[in-house]
Amino acid sequence: MSQKVLIIDDDPDVVLSLRMPLESAGYEVHEAGSQAEGLVAVESVKPDLIILDVMMDTHTAGFQLAQKLHAPDAPEETRRIPILMVTAVHQTTPLRFEPDSDYLPVDGFIDKPIDPKTLLAEVAKLLSES
Amino acid sequence: MTELRSSLVAPPGERGLRPTLDELCQNTRLLIKFRWAAGFSILFCTGFAEIVLSVKLDVVPLVGTGLFVLFYNSLLFFTCRDANETLERVQRVAWGQIVLDWVAMTVLVHLTGGITSPALIFFVIHAALSGTVLLTWQTRSLSFLAIAIVGALALLERSDWLPYIEIDEFDMGSQLYRNGTYITAVMFFFGTTIVTLSELVSRRTQRMRQREQHIRQLYDARSTFVRVATHELRAPLAASLSLMLTLEQGYMGEITEQQGAILARVTQRLRELSTLVDDLLTLAASQEASASHTPLAPESVRAALLKMVERERAGADIKGITVHCDLDDREGIVLAGDVGLQIIFGNLLNNAVKYTPEAGQVTVNYSISAGYTEVKISDTGIGIPADDIPNIFQEFFRAKNAKQARINGTGIGLSAVNALVERYRGTIALHSDEGQGTTFTVRLPLAARHVLHDSHQAH
Repeated sequence: MSQKVLIIDDDPDVVLSLRMPLESAGYEVHEAGSQAEGLVAVESVKPDLIILDVMMDTHTAGFQLAQKLHAPDAPEETRRIPILMVTAVHQTTPLRFEPDSDYLPVDGFIDKPIDPKTLLAEVAKLLSES
Repeated sequence: MTELRSSLVAPPGERGLRPTLDELCQNTRLLIKFRWAAGFSILFCTGFAEIVLSVKLDVVPLVGTGLFVLFYNSLLFFTCRDANETLERVQRVAWGQIVLDWVAMTVLVHLTGGITSPALIFFVIHAALSGTVLLTWQTRSLSFLAIAIVGALALLERSDWLPYIEIDEFDMGSQLYRNGTYITAVMFFFGTTIVTLSELVSRRTQRMRQREQHIRQLYDARSTFVRVATHELRAPLAASLSLMLTLEQGYMGEITEQQGAILARVTQRLRELSTLVDDLLTLAASQEASASHTPLAPESVRAALLKMVERERAGADIKGITVHCDLDDREGIVLAGDVGLQIIFGNLLNNAVKYTPEAGQVTVNYSISAGYTEVKISDTGIGIPADDIPNIFQEFFRAKNAKQARINGTGIGLSAVNALVERYRGTIALHSDEGQGTTFTVRLPLAARHVLHDSHQAH
């Protein structure tokens, strides 16, 4: 059975550019367009990996969702799902966040524009670790 | 964009704008300076009048008043010397000094002839000065209080409830202090002068504060605008580029060689645009970080450098460039901003990776010596032609070979780096051989109180 990847992103063009390489690599891809839809989809799809956009309705929607999913009181099966965060600000903006389990519960970052090769490598890495 | 509007329409407080901490501190210090002069001139004038002019004065209480002024001014001086003040505390000090001054002035006026005293003018000066530290209604109340105090003093002395202290040498004639017409005339001119002058000063102060606040708001709105606009510019660019890459790499079906060539061109143009947007954001962030009103704080050079090395490593890996680090273990605390330090090292490292061909090498050296930190970033890249070196820190300037090699860039990065290094009182130097590589050396002075600490750790 192929592994399931849930994309939570409100930009359909970004979703498409994530979906095509993932599908061609044999993953089963599901998508959700908002934070709320994402929470529902996590329940129904039970994905093996979540790809999450950092900025959706608000600048921090992605973070809030990640925090909710990986909170200490979240169900064990939700907490185990690795999260790959998509951001367009990571590369050149001086940022106040970096991957750090203390306050940012995500497992990896990928920068926009998305390079399919990097994406597939990251996804494979996270899935093999979990 | 909602953030933008809300910050522009912040209404001024109903009762006028309070002074900022900085303004209040400055004005309080100015008042303290004036008060030294006032205290000494009371002593000097008393001595001069008594000895040189042989005026009969109540020397003891006058000298006492002068000493009292100097005494509480010393207390105020030492209280205000501390740099870490809160607004509430300075405001209390400001009020305290005004109350003390008024007591001293009332005594002085009484001792020098009440309504006939030439020292009355001090009240006017003081009410005007108060207008620079207090709110309008407070200054106005103080002016009326001054009129009340002087009026009460005149009435008390006229009705002998308080002894009138006469200075014979003024030769006021037949008990001028009992003359109702004289008292009314003095009170009228005294009152109108003090109210008008303090009102004027107070209104000017308010206007100045409003302008300052407006400038601050404009500045904040500008940074918010740049931030929001940059995000809005970036999102579609990033989405387009992502789609182009998927298309180019054949994930949406086979493409012909000719189509591929066109796609590559479009991707290249999109990348150029993307670099421009990124650099504009860097420019905005660095302008904010190097603006003189952005406070400097102790920051670790090592931490900022390490963070940027980690960030740039991914890009180096893709090009097969090895990044070699030789870092001192000490933090190297300098007075700077964390964003600013990241911009400095991030840009230099990014350039090193960008202008170095595949399989090259980038070396990062960090050391501490004699009061400053030194960061050396060397690469085995294309180098900078000798003619271009003098202009390399100019905004929008790009070296000839960088343009020829069609490497994306805008010429913003290094000028931003240079401005920030200057702001942090450091120096930046570069050594480059065209075709061999470039070395940038950034020296930043250690924060004074950390110099000793760091050198102890070294042994």
